[in-house]
Amino acid sequence: MRIQGTKKTLAAGALAAMLAVAPAYGQEITIAIGSEPTTLDPQVRDDGGERAVNDNIYETLMARTANGELVPSLAEGPPTQVGGTTWEFKLRDGVKFHNGESFNADAVVFSVERIINPEFNSEQGSFFSTITGAAKVDDLTVRIETDGPDPILPTRMYWMKMVPPGQAADPGFADAPVGTGPYKFAGWNRGNDIVLEVNEGYWGDAPQVQKVTYRFIEESGTRLAGLLAGELDVITNLLPEFVGQVPQSANISGLELPIVILSSLGGSTADVRVRQALNYAVDKDALAESLFEGFAEVAEGQLLAPSFFGFNSDVQAYPYDPDKARALLDEAGAAGTEVELVGTSGRWLKDRELVEAVGAFWSDIGLNVNVRIFEFDEYLNRLFDRDTRADAIFVVSSNELLDADRPFSAYYHKGGIGASNEDDALAGLIDQARSETDVAKRSALYQQAVQIAYDQAYFLWLLNIEDIYGMSERMAWQPRVDAKLLVKEMRVDG
Amino acid sequence: MVDAPSDHSVASPDDIGGRPHELFSAARGLGKELWQDKPGFIGLLLLVALVLVAIFAPLIAPHDPAAQSLRERLLPPAWVLDGSWVHPLGTDNLGRDVLSRIMFGARVSLLVGTGVVVVAGGFGVFMGLLAGYFGGRTDSFIMRWVDTQVAFPGLLLALIILAVVGPSMTTVIVVLALNGWMVYARITRGVVLSVREEPYVEAAELVGCKPARVLYRHVLPNLTSPLLTLAILEFARIILAEAALSFLGLGVQPPATSWGLDVATGKEYMFRAWWLVTFPGLAIGIVVLAINLLASWARVTSDPQEREKRFARFMARRQAGAGTREAIAK
Repeated sequence: MRIQGTKKTLAAGALAAMLAVAPAYGQEITIAIGSEPTTLDPQVRDDGGERAVNDNIYETLMARTANGELVPSLAEGPPTQVGGTTWEFKLRDGVKFHNGESFNADAVVFSVERIINPEFNSEQGSFFSTITGAAKVDDLTVRIETDGPDPILPTRMYWMKMVPPGQAADPGFADAPVGTGPYKFAGWNRGNDIVLEVNEGYWGDAPQVQKVTYRFIEESGTRLAGLLAGELDVITNLLPEFVGQVPQSANISGLELPIVILSSLGGSTADVRVRQALNYAVDKDALAESLFEGFAEVAEGQLLAPSFFGFNSDVQAYPYDPDKARALLDEAGAAGTEVELVGTSGRWLKDRELVEAVGAFWSDIGLNVNVRIFEFDEYLNRLFDRDTRADAIFVVSSNELLDADRPFSAYYHKGGIGASNEDDALAGLIDQARSETDVAKRSALYQQAVQIAYDQAYFLWLLNIEDIYGMSERMAWQPRVDAKLLVKEMRVDG
Repeated sequence: MVDAPSDHSVASPDDIGGRPHELFSAARGLGKELWQDKPGFIGLLLLVALVLVAIFAPLIAPHDPAAQSLRERLLPPAWVLDGSWVHPLGTDNLGRDVLSRIMFGARVSLLVGTGVVVVAGGFGVFMGLLAGYFGGRTDSFIMRWVDTQVAFPGLLLALIILAVVGPSMTTVIVVLALNGWMVYARITRGVVLSVREEPYVEAAELVGCKPARVLYRHVLPNLTSPLLTLAILEFARIILAEAALSFLGLGVQPPATSWGLDVATGKEYMFRAWWLVTFPGLAIGIVVLAINLLASWARVTSDPQEREKRFARFMARRQAGAGTREAIAK
């Protein structure tokens, strides 16, 4: 009898415990990220794992909507330009850091000065290269100075996380982050997980999810298995091949655009007809539909996705037309010549397969393609070799700021780190756009640049790869174009 | 073959002279022995078949191994639902014919495997013989060289060579041989150290044989058995090492391929398309098995003690068989 009684008590206790836990459990989720952050200081590294966590703890002056539109966040409204090289931000009133510090002009000045300090040596430095300093006007007004007219400063501020001056000097700051965001840091079990809890005092709408656990799982197969076993709620970088196996998946046009840089400086690709032929030769639709199983769109003849600033909607992808490609090659007298195609393996999604596929398409139109897959370091040497440019170099450009400035400066501008042309007109347009503060004029300049590069076929534009997320049955979430994992936008049913 | 002090009633390698009929009869004798060892014979048949496939790949392959058809990617083998006999073993991640790729891949894999074993084995054994036989400073120098190189990371060496020469099949053979000769040298040296003390080696030296002859005629034959075993193990390892190098971009360049490389690229699709890893993997398995079978026969045949044992077993079986027959007859 006594034993039975104990059993009953136990059962009742367990039931009560279940009832008590059940509602809370519904609001706890687990997210798998590819790598463990090395630090949780938001201004030091340029690292996807760190960003995935800190995007929920810290906030920036500007933010983006899920569709990529730039909106004020910690700023009260869009910034205004005062003078050619100064931008003024009004700050949101009443925002507090998780430790109780007030968010004000001092915090902004501190954050700006901290990250641009050469001694601080931030990996994100290149995002803020134009910023020379910040000054407080009053408690809720701050001015940011640039070294020249900088039209994309508001966009840059979308990348700069605001840190609390009082806490940032603390030696433990990198292990225990303190921000203004909807979630606050609850614990970091090294090698295992990071836990965040909802910030009750958040200035914005209260999020539904109460607790987030981040687990670090490098291998994509393990992430998939964890999702199928019900241990994980959200996984990133799901391979297109596995979409059918997960309970729920969501995909969105991503930030990554694979291209092949065609050299106009010498070799067989110096002739524009050959470069055009190389574009006509590749069946981009087949790549998108078969190799990426539909989880990629054909890039419209430019190093920009439709949601990026500078996109030219009049320019469309070169169609797949191998006969025209052969005719162009004959016209240029280049049939059967050798083309060196440089690529790498294991760095980007399906990189090796894309290079092999492009090589085979080019062979089909009668070129002697010399495919060279290099180990990544050696590949980078070739990509950045300014003296001898390979005929064709495969690269994947990732556009975090959703703006033409960075990719065009790197690949379109003749002085860019990965450019293979010497087009003065093109470089002129890009230089002009960089300091043009009128939005419409700036957009027009980029559209002109897109057109020139397209006509000259300086690149083989391939695809715009979609980001694919796997989710558990109970999740409700729309992925964002900027690929950020904002937990405040996620909802859990049941 | 352990060399016995010359006694004309026992066959020694010296008896096989250069005259054609003698060579022929020796080969026929070996052939007969191989025929009697059925597993060894099957191993030989498999190897010959694979080498023929590799040589005549352009004639017998049903498709161009580089011809891609993205719309027909990841087709399953013919006997699976949705498969067709156009691609008997299915297609890979870019829609290329898996069977044709295995046939062409055999060329690279077999050539690299054999090439590395020959180059690394040749050099390693030579250094090991020198170290073991001469001892003293030669020994210290060679063995410290071996130690140093064992401690040197192989991938780094590969990178350095790649930066200078560029990736190709020759580079792969050189890199893998440079990384693999040390183990041959160590084993050879060990065996030589013990054989050196044997009376027949001393006798050969006393008779006035030059070191080269002592090493070649009296020491080297003792190494056949351990070296054969080592070479087989190395062969399998090298096929996979080549795959690792090629996958990183340090080895064969597309559209050329090898078995190991196909396994490495197919790994990602394992859950979706098992045939991408299975068939090239099977090919590697068959080669290694064939060589093992053949080598196991060669090891026994080249070792007089093992030969005696084999002969004794053979006789015992025959007598037992005869006894049973008599019993049945009664």
